[in-house]
Amino acid sequence: MTQYLDKAPDAGRRSRKAADPSAVKVVEVVIVGAGFAGLGSAIQLRKAGITDIAIVERGTEVGGTWRDNQYPGAACDIPSNLYSFSFAQNPAWSRGYSGSREILGYIKGLARDHDLLPLIRFEHNVEALDFDGGEGVWTVTLTGREPIKARSVVMAQGPLSNAGFPNIRGIESFTGKKIHSARWDHSYDFTGKRVAVIGTGASAVQIIPELVKVADKVKVFQRTPGWVLPRLDFQSPEWAKTLFAKLPVSQTAVREAMYWIHESMALGMIWNTPMTRALEMLGNRFREAQVKDAWLRRQLTPDFKIGCKRVLMTNDYYPALQKPNCELISWPIANLSEKGIRSVEGIEHQVDCIVFATGFEVSKNGTPFPVHGLGGRDLNAEWAGGAQAYKSVQVSGYPNLYFTFGPNSGPGHNSALVYMESQIAYIVRSIGKRAAANLKYIDVRADAQKAFNVDIQKRLAKTNWNSGCKSWYLSADGFNSTMFPGFATQFARQMANFRERDYRMV
Amino acid sequence: MQLDTAKMLAKIKNTQWALADIDWDAPGAELVTGDPELYAKLKVFMADLMWIEHVGARAFAAMAKKAPDDTLAEIYRYFHAEEQRHANVEMALMKRWGMLEGDADNPILPEPNINLRLVIDWLDTYSDEMPIEVLGSVIPSLEIALDGALCKFLLDTVQDPVCHAAFEKINEDEARHLGVGFHMLEVMGHGKLHQLLVKAAGNLLNPKLIIGIAAYLPLLNRMRDNLVKLGLKEERLYEAMNKYKRIGGRTEQGRRNPWFQIISHQSAMVVDRKSFYHVPVDALVRLTDFYPRRLLKATPTWVKGLTWKTAA
Repeated sequence: MTQYLDKAPDAGRRSRKAADPSAVKVVEVVIVGAGFAGLGSAIQLRKAGITDIAIVERGTEVGGTWRDNQYPGAACDIPSNLYSFSFAQNPAWSRGYSGSREILGYIKGLARDHDLLPLIRFEHNVEALDFDGGEGVWTVTLTGREPIKARSVVMAQGPLSNAGFPNIRGIESFTGKKIHSARWDHSYDFTGKRVAVIGTGASAVQIIPELVKVADKVKVFQRTPGWVLPRLDFQSPEWAKTLFAKLPVSQTAVREAMYWIHESMALGMIWNTPMTRALEMLGNRFREAQVKDAWLRRQLTPDFKIGCKRVLMTNDYYPALQKPNCELISWPIANLSEKGIRSVEGIEHQVDCIVFATGFEVSKNGTPFPVHGLGGRDLNAEWAGGAQAYKSVQVSGYPNLYFTFGPNSGPGHNSALVYMESQIAYIVRSIGKRAAANLKYIDVRADAQKAFNVDIQKRLAKTNWNSGCKSWYLSADGFNSTMFPGFATQFARQMANFRERDYRMV
Repeated sequence: MQLDTAKMLAKIKNTQWALADIDWDAPGAELVTGDPELYAKLKVFMADLMWIEHVGARAFAAMAKKAPDDTLAEIYRYFHAEEQRHANVEMALMKRWGMLEGDADNPILPEPNINLRLVIDWLDTYSDEMPIEVLGSVIPSLEIALDGALCKFLLDTVQDPVCHAAFEKINEDEARHLGVGFHMLEVMGHGKLHQLLVKAAGNLLNPKLIIGIAAYLPLLNRMRDNLVKLGLKEERLYEAMNKYKRIGGRTEQGRRNPWFQIISHQSAMVVDRKSFYHVPVDALVRLTDFYPRRLLKATPTWVKGLTWKTAA
């Protein structure tokens, strides 16, 4: 893959010489991150005629979450025809639910086909963002590089981009191999190894069936069992690929149908309705059909409403757990020791490798790096009690700064990319307005943001996410700043309406 | 007695231990193996003790699903595992003393007596459906009467220092189990008395509970008989049962819990050997000896999770 490598030394010397800040080139838009959101934003900005774009990416490749999550079995739990951009459909998806390698291939294709690579500055890690209200310019501070100045900044670093080992007692004392699901070590050979998997969430249920095939023994440490529903996966027939390629409208029709099927799921997953019970019944029947032993079934039975946490879509997880070389351990973990995991029933489970499928550090109460807005205000401090934004994309006091998957934009039932497209369209519109009117900045009014959040929290209180279970959707004190309480269609309508009166235009 | 459950949970997490923390090969086993009379008695006793811990574990598992808040649910999740740990330790002691049948690496679990089997069957079938008031009130009684008295007897009888070291740890866990148990007993005494009474009366009519009581009462009497055979003074068991009444009845809330009253009265009858109570219950004990084994359900898989091994 061709990569645009920054000509940092030259650029650096030039900017250091520039004593007058106004002499430094100000880029129209800096996009942080070259994953789905970053590349999608760049494509749509260009379509709108905004071409002065720099994408800063801390890695050496595009792909974001899908570049990082390459563990065995990694796949999306939304059908590929829906988990792709409507403006860049791929007729060649090999399966109903494609694996992460194929999705990464699609993202690389986006970068290549839309000629985005020249815009991307790889190995550019953002350390801070600071806004100069006088100039209407953001300074993007980078690790070990000259800063970049920009009129607008699009935060597309992704909510699931930071992975770390969990804070378990004695984790430092374990002398075997430690692997995080989001930072897979492909050089490690699991053949014949004794492996522990900590966690039974979306990544774990995909990893475990693959590990069971090769490892000598797999011990799965479960804290909370999730709801598991069957995944209707299939290999795409050749005729469908040909049809989609020759008649794109047919693929759009399939995509639409999938969209509405997922939309209907919101009725059961987001709110507590008779459909919630129907989905739970489906989950219970599926468990009864796949798990023969009553005690194992009890261990795998969730004690919260379906939808409160992410629903796991897999046909392979339950059968894998029942393989002779696999064991589910639902005892709490006391600590990690030199040779393995000691659980509270007093036994040391000795293993060669521990896989941490423990999820991500989702920024619910802060930004991944310091962001200073008008008058030096600090976004981390403002979000300490829970992140809030206006329509998820903008925050009052931080003009010309745009978020993708900002506060309260998360879907629980439909494709994240559907939500992303609405956000990108809004961002492009706002940036276009500023440029067209040659404004210094566009800033959301504080009262508009407040009213929006009062309304959204009121709506969230009625959802299954806020019904009592602990999940990564909620902060430690139970504040929901991640999810959007409604249909994707409602979110799209929210984002389609740009209310100028909610903004200060300077 | 008001308990800070968050502090209790933190304490539980901070005081975890494992079988590997005990030196199972330390000298002292001969104090048991060298005394044929003690050895024979202990072999039966240890199997019963291990099964009682295990039965208690299953009751805690049911409580974890019913706890009124997340902290208590987590506490019961730990207690479930800790009771399993105690049963594992008791199995490891049996292994140390050469009391397990079968080959050394894959010993056979000792068979639980028929009354324990019936209680295991009942717990496996119905415990998850039982109201929290019933389970929460019975658990401290079971812990204090059976577990407490049995452990005391064991430590009075056995001089092996490894056994004492292991039970020092077990007793620290049990003290916390009782602390939380009595806290729950009182929590369930809150509310209007007439409502508590109506609810308790309703529960008492539940056929599933009646079956449970029919399984539990003979177990108590069978254990008493077994203990007497082993040389334990009955008074020890009765002292432990009185302790339930004393601690549980310390506060008004505890006394207002109808289940506390029911269990206390039942304990008083158990303690009184002249009570009419023993006529039907002792008859039940004898009857259960004739209980057809084919009517028992297959042993649930949670029973097979026990191990004497420090590492797996």
